[in-house]
Amino acid sequence: MSMTTEALELHQPLLSVRDIDKSYGGLRAIDGVSLDIEGGEIVALVGDNGAGKSTLIKMICGALRPDGGEIFLRGKAIAFGSPKDATDAGIETVHQSLGLVDTLNVPENVFLGREKTFRVLGLFNQLDLSAMREETRKLLERFGISVPTLNEPVFRLSGGQRQTIAISRLLLSEPSLIIMDEPMAALGVDEGRRVMDLVVNLRDQGIAVLMISHNLEHVFKVADRIAVLKNGRLVGVVATSDASRESVVSMITLGTA
Amino acid sequence: MSTTAADVRSGGSKDIGSADRRFRLEGLGLTLVIIALGIMFTLINPRFASIDNFLNILTQASTYIIVAMGMTFVISKAGIDLSVGSTLAVVTCVFFGFIDGGMPWGLALIIMFALGAFLGAINGLMVAFLAVPALIATLGTMVAYRGIALLHSSGKLYYGLPPEIVWLGQGRLFGIPVPVIMAAIFVAFCWWLFNRTRFGLHCRSVGGNREAARLAGVPVSRIEILVYTFMGVCVTIGGLIWMARIDGAQATLGTAMEIHVIAATIIGGTSLFGGRGTIYGSLAGAILLTMLNNALVIAGVEFFWQLVAIGVIVVIAVTVNNVRENRIVWLDTLRARRKQAQRGARAA
Ligand SMILES: Nc1ncnc2c1ncn2[C@@H]1O[C@H](COP(=O)(O)OP(=O)(O)OP(=O)(O)O)[C@@H](O)[C@H]1O
Ligand SMILES: [Mg+2]
Repeated sequence: MSMTTEALELHQPLLSVRDIDKSYGGLRAIDGVSLDIEGGEIVALVGDNGAGKSTLIKMICGALRPDGGEIFLRGKAIAFGSPKDATDAGIETVHQSLGLVDTLNVPENVFLGREKTFRVLGLFNQLDLSAMREETRKLLERFGISVPTLNEPVFRLSGGQRQTIAISRLLLSEPSLIIMDEPMAALGVDEGRRVMDLVVNLRDQGIAVLMISHNLEHVFKVADRIAVLKNGRLVGVVATSDASRESVVSMITLGTA
Repeated sequence: MSTTAADVRSGGSKDIGSADRRFRLEGLGLTLVIIALGIMFTLINPRFASIDNFLNILTQASTYIIVAMGMTFVISKAGIDLSVGSTLAVVTCVFFGFIDGGMPWGLALIIMFALGAFLGAINGLMVAFLAVPALIATLGTMVAYRGIALLHSSGKLYYGLPPEIVWLGQGRLFGIPVPVIMAAIFVAFCWWLFNRTRFGLHCRSVGGNREAARLAGVPVSRIEILVYTFMGVCVTIGGLIWMARIDGAQATLGTAMEIHVIAATIIGGTSLFGGRGTIYGSLAGAILLTMLNNALVIAGVEFFWQLVAIGVIVVIAVTVNNVRENRIVWLDTLRARRKQAQRGARAA
């Protein structure tokens, strides 16, 4: 497939990662990775444990600074100083295992970092607890999950309930890119299916989704393209429709396209 | 209203939030302890139960209450501040120094508050930007600030405040001592700040899980600096009341204050592990400690035994909290074993 230079100039991918690097001490966790994501597509990021998947998405969502390379959002170079900058730019992220503050309750967790407030005495901002609670209830209803207590600290909740709460944070704004690090890992069959429905639903609304998963069945069911990482390098990106499961497995394990 | 992605579809489970408790009686236990102790002390010595003694206890407690408010924020943020007593000595001695030098008290007051905030901010800067553990950072400033107070006053005993300042410590409004009124207003303000504002929520979130809070967009370093700065301001208010109450100050003022204030906060139920705290508990804890002190004084117990009593109480309070939060592993194992044994006995 070839494009003319004009078409290249006209067409901007939503997110474009160019030749990005990250080292931890002597370890090259990410080594010269380039990846494009278009609006309204689901890209699955797969690879073995320690391949660098979480490291890569942390650089995109502002949690880590790359050592080298560039990231473009709609053609504009970005350098996020904090995760808040990324959310402000329309990139929402669910992190692997680090999503929630155990001692806070459900609405506090869902709205952490973007609390709803109202003014008192025209001077001070006060948290709008009832509005946050109401919206939390609405958000959780979407996932069909039972969360009997919203007022208790979330460490009392089950792994799947916690996972759902973390995912529901994504729906608070109107993001253009959603990143999920193993969103289905702790979920039951039914809840996992609802999250996959949600992912497809979001894509159909034109939102791009970058999803890390170890579950190839899920990946083949929802992803439009599959990107494979091994030892910090990008092995290749394949369209799901052209790829067989065997070929993806061999990319993951052998690192050969 | 803007539509978010959440509005697209709804339906599903109805039991979300259905089991929430409406009224949470946190701190009830502590209140009962205070009432029980009060009755006990009264039985031992009827003088204890007088209104005068009650107001006296609250007046004595006012400084500790106000400083314990700041400590509640700091400990909820998973920090600690050992430098509160030394900070109190610095700000009061510096204030007196200015007054003695002929400065108008209003200006001296402004400088005093700026200094208190600054000394607190130094703790915050060390914790936030140099990653010095709070225990070490504030241990360092505890010693350093005490040194500054001693250098500044060179052993002088200050006395003789302007009447406006003395009123803050010794005056009464509608029969209630001004320190008690100030403490009450400040506690109400802190309850609001802790439970109903971004600042309070962010303190608790950083204390609960620093990295998750950062990833959620909480400005972690800013919160750390702010919380220690706020602590410095609390200490300044507490110091102002204290020096006004005794109309005097010296460089050793506030020695061993940190242990009293930390004790009050922990007795109240604020978790030393961070993430959770209670304003009401800290208030009750500070009153309880002062009451105990007061009773020991009335009973003629030596000051040194009072120190021993407070040390013991702190350890008991932390232990009670740990039992409540299931933190003691061997106790849990014991409980499980006993249940198994019971079940085995029933089956047999
Ligand atoms: N903060 C860190 N400090 C040092 N090394 C790190 C750090 N975070 C990750 N690494 C290392 O970088 C490599 C990539 O880690 P990363 O978390 O990105 O893997 P991953 O692909 O997400 O794996 P998994 O599927 O197990 O989540 C690993 O070898 C890991 O040990
Ligand atoms: Mg990972």
